[in-house]
Amino acid sequence: MLMIHPLVLAKLEVGQHLYWQLGGLKLHGQVFLTSWFVIGALLLVSFLATRNIQRVPSGLQNFMEYALEFIRDLAKNQIGEKEYRPWVPFVGTLFLFIFVSNWSGALIPWKLIHLPSGELAAPTNDINTTVALALLTSLAYFYAGFSNRGLGYFAKYIEPTPILLPINILEDFTKPLSLSFRLFGNILADELVVAVLVLLVPLFVPLPVMVLGLFTSAIQALIFATLAAAYIGEAIEGHGGEEHG
Amino acid sequence: MTIGWLLAAEEGGFGVDFNILETNLINLVIIIGVLYYFGGKFLGKTLSTRQSAITTAITEAEQRKKEAAAALAEQQQKLAQAQAEAKKILTEAQTTAERTREAILAQSQTDVERMRATAAQDLTSQEARVMRELQQRIAALAIERSEAALPGQLNDDLQRRLVDSSIALLQGE
Repeated sequence: MLMIHPLVLAKLEVGQHLYWQLGGLKLHGQVFLTSWFVIGALLLVSFLATRNIQRVPSGLQNFMEYALEFIRDLAKNQIGEKEYRPWVPFVGTLFLFIFVSNWSGALIPWKLIHLPSGELAAPTNDINTTVALALLTSLAYFYAGFSNRGLGYFAKYIEPTPILLPINILEDFTKPLSLSFRLFGNILADELVVAVLVLLVPLFVPLPVMVLGLFTSAIQALIFATLAAAYIGEAIEGHGGEEHG
Repeated sequence: MTIGWLLAAEEGGFGVDFNILETNLINLVIIIGVLYYFGGKFLGKTLSTRQSAITTAITEAEQRKKEAAAALAEQQQKLAQAQAEAKKILTEAQTTAERTREAILAQSQTDVERMRATAAQDLTSQEARVMRELQQRIAALAIERSEAALPGQLNDDLQRRLVDSSIALLQGE
């Protein structure tokens, strides 16, 4: 797993982790704990919302339907009316997980719980989480491309001209890279800024930055889900978009 | 190195940290409160709008369904009426046809009778005419024969007798 070198800023810790040993792997335990929390929260809310489904939705069911509509529209806009439906669960999972992760990091007083090492925070402030999500996205759009266009998917590498072949191949690497680093960097930077401000002036001064952090977190979740959907849509459509003819 | 910044007592295990400033608790409470207040208001409005839109849509759909069902029932009733009408027309047509057939049959029967009677009448008159002609012809022939035979056989005596008998015949009438 990727190691961030410990960086000491007064009492601020970056790169301190709660390590769990699993075979030869060293796992970042605090990320798992908060991820499980987020997953559990999502499952619980989904369960509660769908437990007693009414024809006219109200309360939690209404809210979750609203969220679902939002995700569906997002996928539909990026992937297209014809092919979007099977990808709603994937895009929706990305969006909800990242969004709830980010906001849990920004809103839940995780520091109340003291760990032997490291501290609880948003799962997305660990590069491993975001890389995992980004690689899943890569797999998803490769799968989408191959399942929809077969070997014709390779044709997109020499489109619009074969000269762009290296760049097109490079794109497959830069896409997960930029996805993972964008999310990781934004969330970690936001948490660091808040932490530094809290350290300097504990009361009220961090509030604007925290609000900004909430906004950024939401935007980052939206960006990740939108880009993932856009990559999938691009893989399905191809650059030429000849299939419509 | 960073461990040095943590209190020795907290080191090494899970625990609860109640340092309010350090855990950023106040700011978090404020921000959650603000978020709950404004976000709740916004979300509540959005959700209630959505709910009422859905309710309206469902009510309209149900209304349309009801109207469609009513229209269907009406049209089915009309169909049944039309079918009954058709059946009635058919029966009427059949009775009319039957009646016409009988009328035509009776008519032809009388026609045949009349024609037969006419034919019979024709036959009798024809017969009578033929008989009459025959009689006339016989009479003409008899007169011709007798006129031919008469000059040879006729003498005075015979002529006198003939005239006498004729006079006697005339007297007798």
